Amino acid sequence: MNPRRIAAVAQRVALNFRRDHRSLALLIIAPLIVLTLVGLVWGSNTQTPPNVVVALDRTNLPGLIVDKFVTSTAIHGARATYDEGVTQLKEGQTDAVVWIQGTSVHILVEGSDPLRAGSVAGPVQKALVDAIGGAAQGAGVQLEQLYGSSDYTLLDYLAPVLVAFFAFFFIFILSAVSFLRERTSGTLERLMASPLRRGELVTGYLAGFTFFALIQAIVIILFTVFVLKVQYRGNLATIFVVEAALVIGAVSIGLLVSAAARNELQAVQFVPVVLLPQVFLSGLLVPVSQLPDYLRPLAAIMPLTYANEALKAVMIKGAALSDALVLRDIGVLLLFAVILAAGAMASIRREVA
Amino acid sequence: MTEAVVASGVRKRFGAVEALAGLDVQVHTGEIYGLLGPNGSGKTTFIRCLAGLVRPDAGAITLLGQAPRAAVQAGRVGYMTQAAALYGDLSVAENLSFFAKLEGLPHAEPRIEAVLRTVELLDRRTSVVSTLSGGMRTRLSLAIALLHEPDLLLLDEPTVGVDPVLRQELWTHLRSLASGGTTILVSSHVMDEASRCDRLGLIRAGRILAEGSAAELTQRAGAKDLESAFLALAGQTA
Repeated sequence: MNPRRIAAVAQRVALNFRRDHRSLALLIIAPLIVLTLVGLVWGSNTQTPPNVVVALDRTNLPGLIVDKFVTSTAIHGARATYDEGVTQLKEGQTDAVVWIQGTSVHILVEGSDPLRAGSVAGPVQKALVDAIGGAAQGAGVQLEQLYGSSDYTLLDYLAPVLVAFFAFFFIFILSAVSFLRERTSGTLERLMASPLRRGELVTGYLAGFTFFALIQAIVIILFTVFVLKVQYRGNLATIFVVEAALVIGAVSIGLLVSAAARNELQAVQFVPVVLLPQVFLSGLLVPVSQLPDYLRPLAAIMPLTYANEALKAVMIKGAALSDALVLRDIGVLLLFAVILAAGAMASIRREVA
Repeated sequence: MTEAVVASGVRKRFGAVEALAGLDVQVHTGEIYGLLGPNGSGKTTFIRCLAGLVRPDAGAITLLGQAPRAAVQAGRVGYMTQAAALYGDLSVAENLSFFAKLEGLPHAEPRIEAVLRTVELLDRRTSVVSTLSGGMRTRLSLAIALLHEPDLLLLDEPTVGVDPVLRQELWTHLRSLASGGTTILVSSHVMDEASRCDRLGLIRAGRILAEGSAAELTQRAGAKDLESAFLALAGQTA
């Protein structure tokens, strides 16, 4: 390994990238736009109250309590008969029909959209509390949490995994396409016919791309923390170290994919193949511990799983870099990086070593 | 006379295609050797073997007394690919300085200026490569191969798209390099270019059909010029 040749490759990658203003802008601005959208959707606790119809013909509660229920701020309440309510439900004019008999509360929802159905129960319960005072809550379950807080929004919980996902996603695509260009334009052939060794080439690429990946990571982290005001507890520098370990692996996967693709169109088709399994299995959507047993081994071989775990520990639980879990995850990420880099090196074929 | 390139019995097969079928070539030091043959005759595969990019299935190759990759690693070989392999987003000078660093040139600036003068691109040194014409790119590609003053130059169809005046000048330059001791192996299918080489190897179907100077080959075939000589010699063994 000759450090000068490695530096030359890294500089070349960086220079090329700096000239490509559009890619550079995409690298920085695209994640910010998406994060802003995510922030707007998931970042607030004030959801629109659902429309709820009380079926008076099936409800045996005093009128005063029904009044209080209907006027509760948790729902947009209305009165009707059961049949009228069902009609409104079918026509999409209301989200739920409610009737209360004795101690049992019946909620009828449309049912074709589970997310919408699920979002009704909470507000209805709240409205009931408003209507009959503390009585309805008497048997309720009080949820308290060790980490985070009840005023955390969904965004606060998702920010760590989103930060990791964006870093991985953009760096992977960029390194795949740019190394593919090296292969198709013939410059790789020229490099291989120079004193440059394959290990030097891969190391140079890793250095060049990791540099931009880290700039991206800084921008994303600062944006989520200071603009989206995501609540976090850990040290920003620790978050950064985890990100760095993740993106080194992402660059190597990019180089590997470029070996399997013949053109840029094919390289882009690899994006869902590499990314979607990680979206579903790395704890981004479903906690790894809740995956079926037969899927857990798959989660264990995905870099994002470890990045997610470490970043959640740092950002939500306030873990430090020296925590065993964080150190282990960073170690695993670096191990991934080394294995993938070796794979990338093997994928650059020169028959004569 | 010492040999800069010794290739004997070189064979290479890509699937069903036998690209090189027992090729024997010896190139003397300081000689310009032309590899002349139609498309698909094995010229490029042979040059890629010499550049250390392809490992022959059989046969032996030494460059300057070393294995191909060792000679390349030592910075003694300059290779110009058939397509001008350059970084389009980088300037002319940036491309050169990148390859200079890979070759470990200590004082690159004067060398970069010298090769740019040779290929007449000095006034375009700050131009971004993607804005250059095809001929200019070919010249830059040649400049990169010349940069580290290699003992052996491998040029795969080096003057494609270069205008006749500059082609003349480039050949003058190659001739002066050769008289300074640089060995040059050129592939071509242009007869006019071939006639400038000291010796020619007519290659077809991965084999050398005939070898000698342009005059010898023409005489041997009893032809009036090199082109008809090539056609006649190729026809005899086909």
